[in-house]
Amino acid sequence: MTTASAARQGPGAQRRGPAGLSLALIGCLLLLAVALFASVMYGSKPTAASDVLDVLTGGGDSYVRTVVESRYPRTAIGVLAGVCLAVAGTLMQGVTRNPLAEPGLLGINAGASASIVAATAYLGATGQRETMWWALPGALLAGVAVHVIGTAGGRTNPVRLVLAGAVLSAVLAAFIQAVTLSRPKVFDTYRYWVVGALGGRGWEVFWSVLPFAGTGLAVALLLGPSLNAMAMGDDKATSLGISPARVKGAGLLAATLLSASATAAVGPIAFVGLAVPHLVRALVGADFRLQLLFSALAGPSLLLLADVIGRVVLRPQELMVGVVTACVGAPALLLAVRRMRGA
Amino acid sequence: MTTTQPLTRRSGPRRGTLRIGTRVAVPFHVSAVVVGLATLVLLGVAAAATLTMGRLGIELADIPSVLLGEATGKDAFVFDRLRGPRLAVAIATGAAFGLSGALFQSVTRNPLGSPDVIGLGAGAGAGAATVALFLPDVVPASVGALLGALLAMGLVYVSTGTGFRSPGRLVVAGIGVAAMATAVTQYVVYAVERDKASSLAAYVNGSLAARSWDDATVIWIVLLGCLPLAALLARPLTIGEMGDDLSTGLGANPGRTKTAAVLLSIALSAGAVSVAGPIAFISLTAPQIAKRLTRSTGPQLAVSTLLGALLLVAADLAAQQLPLFDDLPVGIYTMAVGGAYLGYLLVREWRRQPA
Repeated sequence: MTTASAARQGPGAQRRGPAGLSLALIGCLLLLAVALFASVMYGSKPTAASDVLDVLTGGGDSYVRTVVESRYPRTAIGVLAGVCLAVAGTLMQGVTRNPLAEPGLLGINAGASASIVAATAYLGATGQRETMWWALPGALLAGVAVHVIGTAGGRTNPVRLVLAGAVLSAVLAAFIQAVTLSRPKVFDTYRYWVVGALGGRGWEVFWSVLPFAGTGLAVALLLGPSLNAMAMGDDKATSLGISPARVKGAGLLAATLLSASATAAVGPIAFVGLAVPHLVRALVGADFRLQLLFSALAGPSLLLLADVIGRVVLRPQELMVGVVTACVGAPALLLAVRRMRGA
Repeated sequence: MTTTQPLTRRSGPRRGTLRIGTRVAVPFHVSAVVVGLATLVLLGVAAAATLTMGRLGIELADIPSVLLGEATGKDAFVFDRLRGPRLAVAIATGAAFGLSGALFQSVTRNPLGSPDVIGLGAGAGAGAATVALFLPDVVPASVGALLGALLAMGLVYVSTGTGFRSPGRLVVAGIGVAAMATAVTQYVVYAVERDKASSLAAYVNGSLAARSWDDATVIWIVLLGCLPLAALLARPLTIGEMGDDLSTGLGANPGRTKTAAVLLSIALSAGAVSVAGPIAFISLTAPQIAKRLTRSTGPQLAVSTLLGALLLVAADLAAQQLPLFDDLPVGIYTMAVGGAYLGYLLVREWRRQPA
């Protein structure tokens, strides 16, 4: 299968045989298991691996059990956010055929942030649980607005959508700064949220985001075959009985739902949505069904490992996961720049 | 002064040539001169308004004596300590941003091109924030901003592998560097206590509040040092906009011109952010407005410089006098208005040329 995205990815994107795929799948599952284990093992209170194993198998003394179990919600939220961000990035890059597409670039993070700031400042929302809900409508509105601006003149292309996202982000950023700088209390809430962190959140955050994330994920997985057809070009897809406009619309909507869920739960986190799809494409090739599946496995692994790094480097303090992903993801992007051709 | 006809008779801007004696002949666009003069007049009006408006304003009639240093009492205080240095910094910083953007957009052929886009502003913010966290009261924020901006540009230069020559790589590398820098800034804003975080957050938006004559001296020296160099580049850049092949055929060296223009653009922006912080969108919009007003090709360096000064002085006037919010940094106004203007430009263009 030679498609536009496969050609862009070069030799790394060949189709693998079933054996190679199984191997890749096992590798990803192992990585996820390691990440999950590390996430419940490391923290400001050191715990030995054997103790953690005891707790996980139902034993262990009650103090260690409390420590380890306190890391469960954080880990669960990390898995959820990782799945959401990675799958959203894969969808966006597939739908817009833009290798740079990610939730942050399409104005979704800015929309969620602006909405949270507005709710805190003008509607008196306080605390994590209340403000969290406001991320979703803001993200959706911003997604729609970017789409409307980007399709001015009737048709659109990926570059226009990214430009529209940049414009909307700038205007919303001005609003956010104006409000936060003139209201110290709002500023305090905002500066803790905007860094992007997994810690300090309970199970209720996980459960309240889950329905939205699940809906987005289901739509994303259903779209796999259609995205494969669309990769051959809109004309071919139409001749196969697929409506490109509808697939794009559904894809962007699902991506918005997913990234809004992640942003609501953990704040804006950069680079997971950008990097994971690239890694996955190099691993499994151009088939979107496989890409979506593997993104859902690799995304949480990367996010959890980044979070573990953040917990370890400054112990007993923590580096927020958003800072870690930026400081790991950006150099990776810089290394990739050198291999860009035709620019 | 005589007017010469362009070689081909396409409908373009009228050109003129200013002849001094028989040896010196300076070609110019008539429309560019008209727009430039109009901008200069408006800049004068905005500057006068900055000095006269508001509770502490200086009477319009007193301005000449204040400028000559003959005033005493309240007027002298307002001019020497409050609004004089702020206005001087605004003019030179705006001009530096405008020229910087014009140089950069001419090289990258990208309407979104400006040093901000490749991470200079974000780097400056991160530099200022890092200094505030680790060396407070030792190194001033402006030095931190300058170092951060230069470090960010060095990173971009190294990571493209082709220096500043390939625009596509510049933009992608800039996204990466900006993301890293923003994360650093956000971490510092998170880690320090609230008052400090608040003033830091204001600084990283770009602010002209409480500038001194020292700041004004710095940015004016940078600006006046870079202007002649930019004038030397104007002609090679105009040729360069015809494409690499054609300009090589005309005897220019496009690679060297591009590198020189980007370096000069970075120097101007770095100087500007070190005194005023990363003020958004001036370097992006000033060249765009210049192109539209003069309706001509070529980099329009002079008009962009003047327009940059006008935009920043006007924005700072709004920041000082609009009753919406108290004392917001000027960068927030430029971000809101510049963002909206950019959106308008893009939508208008897209309506004309469907994808």
